[in-house]
Amino acid sequence: MVPEDSNRKPLPAPDADTAAFWRGLQQGKLLLQHCRRCRHVQYYQQATCRQCGRDELEHRPATGRGKVHSFSVVHRAPGPAFKADVPYAVLLVELAEGPRMISTLVGSDPEGVTFDMDVELAFDQVSDQITLPRFRKA
Amino acid sequence: MSDTSLRGKVAVIGIGLSAVGKVPGRSPLSLAAEAARNALADAGLEKSKVDGVLSSHAFASPFHRFSVAFSEYFGIRPTFSNTLQVSGATAATMFSIGAAAIHGGLAKVVLLVAADSLMTGLTPDLALRSLTESRDQQYEMPFGIPVANTFAMTARRHMKEFGTTPEQLAEVAIVHRRHAARTPGAQQTTPITTADVLNSPMVTTPYHKLDCSLISDGGAAFVLTSAEHAQALGIEKPVYILGCGERYTHEHIFLMPSLTTTGAVESSQRAYAMAGYRPTDINVAGIYDCFTGTVIMMLEDLGFCRKGEGGPFVADGQMSHGGRIPSNTHGGLLSFAHSGMPGALFHFHEVIAQLRGQCGERQVEGAHLGLVHSLGAGFATNATTILGTRGAL
Repeated sequence: MVPEDSNRKPLPAPDADTAAFWRGLQQGKLLLQHCRRCRHVQYYQQATCRQCGRDELEHRPATGRGKVHSFSVVHRAPGPAFKADVPYAVLLVELAEGPRMISTLVGSDPEGVTFDMDVELAFDQVSDQITLPRFRKA
Repeated sequence: MSDTSLRGKVAVIGIGLSAVGKVPGRSPLSLAAEAARNALADAGLEKSKVDGVLSSHAFASPFHRFSVAFSEYFGIRPTFSNTLQVSGATAATMFSIGAAAIHGGLAKVVLLVAADSLMTGLTPDLALRSLTESRDQQYEMPFGIPVANTFAMTARRHMKEFGTTPEQLAEVAIVHRRHAARTPGAQQTTPITTADVLNSPMVTTPYHKLDCSLISDGGAAFVLTSAEHAQALGIEKPVYILGCGERYTHEHIFLMPSLTTTGAVESSQRAYAMAGYRPTDINVAGIYDCFTGTVIMMLEDLGFCRKGEGGPFVADGQMSHGGRIPSNTHGGLLSFAHSGMPGALFHFHEVIAQLRGQCGERQVEGAHLGLVHSLGAGFATNATTILGTRGAL
C-alpha cells in the first residue's frame, strides 16, 4: 500500500474483488454477495464463496438495516487524520441478512450507543469515487 | 501418543533478555544480539554451534528478513532460518517450528531471537500508527479504527454477556503492576489502584490508558536443542516443550465467529492433548495481556475458570501467588514491557525461569509445569505452548 499523508484520512482503492461493492455504494446500495450454490451470504467482497469455495456469487442489495453487536467509542485517535473526530463510536453491526460489518456512527451522540440498538445505513460521499457506508440510529 | 509427537523431544537450554524498557539509541539488531549472547552464555554454548535461527519482524528495523540480517550481524551462517509473522502469536510458533525443525532433522541447535525498539526507535505514535495501518485498506482503515478498538469490542461484548465490570478489568492491571514491582528491570513498578485505572484517560471504551499494555524497547532469545543433545551437553535444568497448539479463526473482526470465545479454546486443547495434562495440572502461566479484558477471556478459554467467570476469578486473587494459577508473574505486557513481537517472549522467559526455580521472591514454589498463551490481531491468531521440567516428562 502507498503510505498515506498522515493528516488525510485513508480512502479505499477498489480492486477487481471490490469494484462492484464500491460502485453500489455510490448508487446508494450496500451490496452483499450471495452464493448461488450454497446460499451463503457474505460481506467482504471476494472472488469465491468462503463457505463452499465456488465462484458462483451474485451481488444483491442489502436492506441496510441491522443491530449493534458490539461497539467502542474512540477517544484517542489512531492518527492525526482522525483527531478532530473524537469521540466517535465504532460499531460492529449485524446486518438483517446475517453478516457483520464494521463502521462508525453518524448523526447521534456516540455515548448513546447500546447493544442491539437498531441502526440503518447512512451513505457518506467522501470523494467523487468513494462513498463510505456508515450507520445512523434507526 | 504417536512417534511423530513433539512431546518432550526438544528442550530449552538457554534463555536471555536484552536491556528492556526505555533503551534509547539501540537498534533492534543490537538488542537482539545482546539477548542472543545472554541466551548462549546461559546455555554454555558458543555461537558457532547455532545452525538454526528463527525471528519475528521488527517494526523499527528496515530488514524484512530479520533472521537473516540478525545472522549477519551476529556473525553466524545458519543452515535453517526464517522470520515468522502471525502477530502476537509468533512467539509460540517460534518454539513449535523450532522444535519441529530439530525433531525433523533440519537443525541441531536453534536460536529463537526477536527484539524491537517501539518506544525510542519508532516512538509510541508511530508504533501505534504502523499497527493501525496494517489493517484492511478498504474495509477497516477508512473508519479510523485504533488497534485497541478491536480488543475493546470483545471486552465490551464480554461485559454485556457475562456482567464483567470495569473494576474487574482494572484488577487485572493492578495485579500485573504488583507482579512487576518484584521483577528487576520492569518498566512500570509504581503501585496503582482501581481509581488510578478508571481515572486514567479513556483510549477506546471500555479501555483506559492503564487497561492497555506498554510500548517498550527490548528483546529476548532462547536456545533449543533435542532432549538427547541437552543431556549430552550436561544441561542442569532443561525445560521441555511438552505441547503445542494453534488456531486461526479469521482476519477481520467482522468475520470473528464469536467475540467472547476465541481460538484459544482449540489451541489450548491441542496443546493439553499433546502434553497429556489438564488445566488443573498447570502450576504457572504466561498469558498474553495486550489489554486487561484479554486476560480475563483467556483465563476462561484456556480452561483455568469457566466461561464468563474470568472477572470474579481475577478479583478473587486467583491469577496471583497463592491463587489457582499464578500468571504473568513478571508483570506482563501491562507492566513489565511490550516491545511488539518480542512481547510474548517475555512470558516465555518468565515461565521458563519459574520452571528452573530462578525467580527469587516471586518464585512459584515447586512449579514444574507451565503454559504460555500468545495471541494477536484481535484474537485472529492464537497459540498455546506447554513446558515442563524433567519431572513433568
